[in-house]
Amino acid sequence: MNTKDSTLAETATSSNRSDSAPNRLIAVIDIGTGAIRMAIAEVKEDGTVYALERLSQAVTLGEDTFQTRNIQKATMEECVRILKSYRRRLDEYQISRDDQIRVVATSAVREADNRLAFTDRIFIATGFEVSPLDEAEVNRITYQGIRPYLAAKPNLDESQTIVTEIGGGTTELLLVQNGNVLFSSNYRLGALRLREMLKGYRVPLAKERTIMENQIERVIQQIVHEVPADKSIKLVVLGGDVRFALAQLRPEDEIPEPGNSPDELDRLKVSELSKFTDKILQKNEDELVQNYHLAFTDAETLGPALLAYTKLAQAYQLKYIYVTKANFRDGLLKEMADQSTWSDEFYTQVIRSTIDFGKRFDFDEAHARHVAFLADTLFQSLQNEHKLDLRNRLLLYTAALLHEIGIYVNQSGYHKHSMYLISNGNLFGLGQSDLLLVALIARYHRRASPKATHPGYSTLDRFSRIAIAKMAAILRVADALDYSYSQRVQEIECEIANGQLIISIPHVEDVSLEQIALVEKGPFFEEVFGLKVHLRKK
Amino acid sequence: MAPKASKYLNRELSWLEFNQRVLDEAHDPEIPLLERLKFLAITSSNLDEFFMVRVGGLHLLQASGNTTSDPSGMTPKKILNAISLRAHQMMAEQYQCLLGEIEPPLAAAGFQRANPQELTDAQRRIVEQVFRDEIYPVLTPMAVTPEMEFPYLVNHTLNIVVRLAPDEKAKQPQDRFAIIPFGRTEFRFITLPSEGGYQYLPLEDAVCLFIEQYFGGEQVLESIPFRVTKNADVSLQDEFASDLLHQMEDMLDQRKQGDCIRLEIAEAVSAETLEFLGRGLGVLDENVYRIPGPLDLTAFMRLTDISGFDAQKDISWPPQPSPEVNPRISMFENISRQDILLCHPYESFEPVVRLIEEAAVDPDVLAIKQILYRTSKHSPIVAALIRAAEQGKHVTAIVELKARFDEARNIEWAKNLEHAGVQVIYGVKGLKTHAKVCCIVRREPEGIQRYLHFGTGNYNDATSKIYSDISYFTCDEVLASDAINFFNSITGYSLPQNYQKLEAAPISLRDKILDLIHHETERKKQGQKARIIAKVNSLVDPEIINALYEASEAGVKIKLNIRGICCLRPGVSKLSKNIEVVSIIDRFLEHARILYFYHGGDERVFISSADWMPRNLDRRVELLVPIEEEKSHRKVIKLLNTYFEDNAKARVLNSNGVYERITPSKEKNVVRCQQVLYEEAVAAIKQAEKAGRTVFEPHMAPEDQK
Repeated sequence: MNTKDSTLAETATSSNRSDSAPNRLIAVIDIGTGAIRMAIAEVKEDGTVYALERLSQAVTLGEDTFQTRNIQKATMEECVRILKSYRRRLDEYQISRDDQIRVVATSAVREADNRLAFTDRIFIATGFEVSPLDEAEVNRITYQGIRPYLAAKPNLDESQTIVTEIGGGTTELLLVQNGNVLFSSNYRLGALRLREMLKGYRVPLAKERTIMENQIERVIQQIVHEVPADKSIKLVVLGGDVRFALAQLRPEDEIPEPGNSPDELDRLKVSELSKFTDKILQKNEDELVQNYHLAFTDAETLGPALLAYTKLAQAYQLKYIYVTKANFRDGLLKEMADQSTWSDEFYTQVIRSTIDFGKRFDFDEAHARHVAFLADTLFQSLQNEHKLDLRNRLLLYTAALLHEIGIYVNQSGYHKHSMYLISNGNLFGLGQSDLLLVALIARYHRRASPKATHPGYSTLDRFSRIAIAKMAAILRVADALDYSYSQRVQEIECEIANGQLIISIPHVEDVSLEQIALVEKGPFFEEVFGLKVHLRKK
Repeated sequence: MAPKASKYLNRELSWLEFNQRVLDEAHDPEIPLLERLKFLAITSSNLDEFFMVRVGGLHLLQASGNTTSDPSGMTPKKILNAISLRAHQMMAEQYQCLLGEIEPPLAAAGFQRANPQELTDAQRRIVEQVFRDEIYPVLTPMAVTPEMEFPYLVNHTLNIVVRLAPDEKAKQPQDRFAIIPFGRTEFRFITLPSEGGYQYLPLEDAVCLFIEQYFGGEQVLESIPFRVTKNADVSLQDEFASDLLHQMEDMLDQRKQGDCIRLEIAEAVSAETLEFLGRGLGVLDENVYRIPGPLDLTAFMRLTDISGFDAQKDISWPPQPSPEVNPRISMFENISRQDILLCHPYESFEPVVRLIEEAAVDPDVLAIKQILYRTSKHSPIVAALIRAAEQGKHVTAIVELKARFDEARNIEWAKNLEHAGVQVIYGVKGLKTHAKVCCIVRREPEGIQRYLHFGTGNYNDATSKIYSDISYFTCDEVLASDAINFFNSITGYSLPQNYQKLEAAPISLRDKILDLIHHETERKKQGQKARIIAKVNSLVDPEIINALYEASEAGVKIKLNIRGICCLRPGVSKLSKNIEVVSIIDRFLEHARILYFYHGGDERVFISSADWMPRNLDRRVELLVPIEEEKSHRKVIKLLNTYFEDNAKARVLNSNGVYERITPSKEKNVVRCQQVLYEEAVAAIKQAEKAGRTVFEPHMAPEDQK
């Protein structure tokens, strides 16, 4: 089996689908800055997701967090009330199992100092387990949601496309080409965040715009720096604010086709968007609510969000932007529909992003890839010993790819530099906690074994600590096997006998160099697994 | 009459013209006598409602010193004067119709109101017995002296005022008065023994006959029945008057005075008694209606239900099963095969009841959501919802308690629903929930399926036999998703979200209608074909009227079928010369709202729960439902056109606000729309039976268990 071509991604999720009954019902709840939204959907036999209901109720979480860094008691209870009412809706569809429901929270909860009190209160009152998502996870989920839309439009798929949503608290941005994520990042630019900031200034309507433009342009400069303008670059935007603008600008009575078939992207002229934005910004929130029948929370974010989209489109000198109906909840639904929360595509994207990251630090790509391959082979061969899941397999793979990037900083103690670079890096799709695991695995690929006093390591729970030890031990052995840096060990076979891990290596002259490396790298493996590592030429 | 200059007809006067058209039916010698009596009873109950709601509000407005004009350019005072004039005229005509046209031939046919002075001995004995046993112990006179406060009288109930000769021992002998209030009683007519036929005596006549038994030894000078409509009881919160209420929020206290806005009193009343009542009730001369016959004709409605006398009744047009509904398979299967559009009462309402009854016991149904606005006493729909809840299904019922005349009834069955575990939602704050929709969520092998019923009438199996309404069944996914959104927003589960196909008042329905009208105007301006056809019950909304005027001026041909109030002035050059307004009053109450727009050839058809009145568009929860499925689309267009072919029961509104009968030209056949629709329904099922593919066995709705 272990040929180099069988990528991790291909085999990652295949085993997990057997128990999927036809037409599963699932639900996602998204606790956002201005609203708690729920989508109830049905997963058809062929894996497509069909949304049955979408609900939304306004909350002032963003207002609380962005102003006081704390979620107020009253707001918390309002959330409880809403979630209880959602629970009743779920009962109607007999959706009750944890694997049918996913409740996530974004920046307003993530940035609140009392987020633990919040999630605990929600759990006690409603039984919902809220997982605050970090930025990288939001990107990953958005990517899942947007994927089919892009794939349906070949000309978009082929050119470099910025996919972005200006949310209440943050702006997510992906750069995609041919279905591959070239770059992803998050910025602290949010429509509600801007609005709350303005409240602090108490300036007249006309002045508000100047202040917002300043804030927005500062972030856009950063974006343009990171994603340089390219002639053929396209901009795909998502989010309720821009969809509202689209609905207002598009000729009326276009009745869409039934269902939510992977729909067309709608084109919106930037000049029209800009004009519309001007019109919106001249109105205060009350007028918006009255004139457009908007909910108050939507009226608050509309102006800032549209301004930001306009500015972004103008920064790239675009004539058109594309608006998609996809949203964050669609991505969440898609992830749940795929059951394994991480899909094949996602694995591919993470690995691609990791290699891009490595390149920034001039890593030895051939060596890195080879060590990753060997580590992965060992991981699979030793499944019965370590009993770790597929997610860890990806983390090990990532850590193996990046284990030496610290050399870019300094040869001495480079494993610590690797750790530092990884944990402060930006790998597509990996959240903070995953990133820390990857960083620690890389760190422990040489020298000292884990100690309770080590930063980062000490904050982890026991299960994670053990997982790190196991994976670091595997990585050490894999690294030893390419001690020659020549990728000459192309194939390995593992066997466990008499308290030994016997690695047989065919097609090589001798294995003495690797043997020597193992003297240094082997003991930790023995410490962790209780197995001596023995190399044998086949 | 409104000043000629105004673009709009006055709403109140237009309403009175509507009642006149109903009265015209009571005059119509072509119609059987008991049916005519029924129309007469309807005019009376219509007037009661009108006085209580509209006239009451106008009185308050006038009392507040308001002199602003309504869209037709009339001040409250002017309107009230015009109403008083018109209503007096109408009352006179009502009684001329009853006493001169209906009662004599009806008596000849053996159906007779007895003259209390001409009772046979046997009859008199019976009346005396009823008086002694049932009336005397219940009805009690109250002496009313000038020093005391005038007694409280219940709106719209009968009373008798009794004038007694002066007490001779008193220092200043003067007439004395007593009042016998009847209170809210259903008891109005005493059936008399007779030799063949049916004879009855109104309760007030019986009381007057034996009035002296109440006043032992006193001399009764006269006893006169009367009836009051008072402002104090005008329900000002009622949305029917909310446009008036809006202008006078700060002076609600005034209504405590309880001005009597209408006094109906038997013609025979003496000047003394009338003066006494006038003073006590504070009623102005112009608001006194001297009645030349029995009061409160509304009660005669009950008499028309009498069994027998078939010659005096319409030949029954029983609801027909529709060939579109196969009785051998479930409604779910029927609907999943094809969309179904029914026109009640020609086509039976039974499939609607059956859908909900089947849903109640179907093991795969997860949830039923339904709006119940007015429903019947022993509604099989309510019973089915209760059963569904007991079976553990999630049942949500939005119950509108503000439906005026059924309030007590509403509360009772709403409580029953709650006890059974139905989630009952008592309407939406500040809005009346008037939309008619039911949504059933069912788990099927292919996945979750939602079945919908949209209607233009209430879920009421009783009125569904006399109201003409549309039902539309579908499981269209987009409509289903919209309907679910709609329910989620009115039940507070979610903020209102944008609908894909539906439009709902008060958020977007008005804009949508205006858009559709403007769209036709624009098309016409660009030289394209354009056309608007609409059937609604009332057209009052100035914004919509203006849009229609604009369309007419652009050259769009507009046909309107408006049963009741129409403030649009048709056929005026440089304003509305392309607009034609027709009203149909016939056996069944025209109630369906259907809209048609040519839309550049992509014809758009909608059914709706909303009339074109500000109250419907701004203060009610209403729906506008597109009919897109081809067969239903065709059927509803054909139906709509039939309404404009009528030349028997249709009246055309002229530019002066007067309705004129259509006289069919000789070569043209008489077309009576309701008859055509009935005959078509009969023919359709016959043909289907002949085709013989299926034998139809209608499931009849269970009879009311009274």
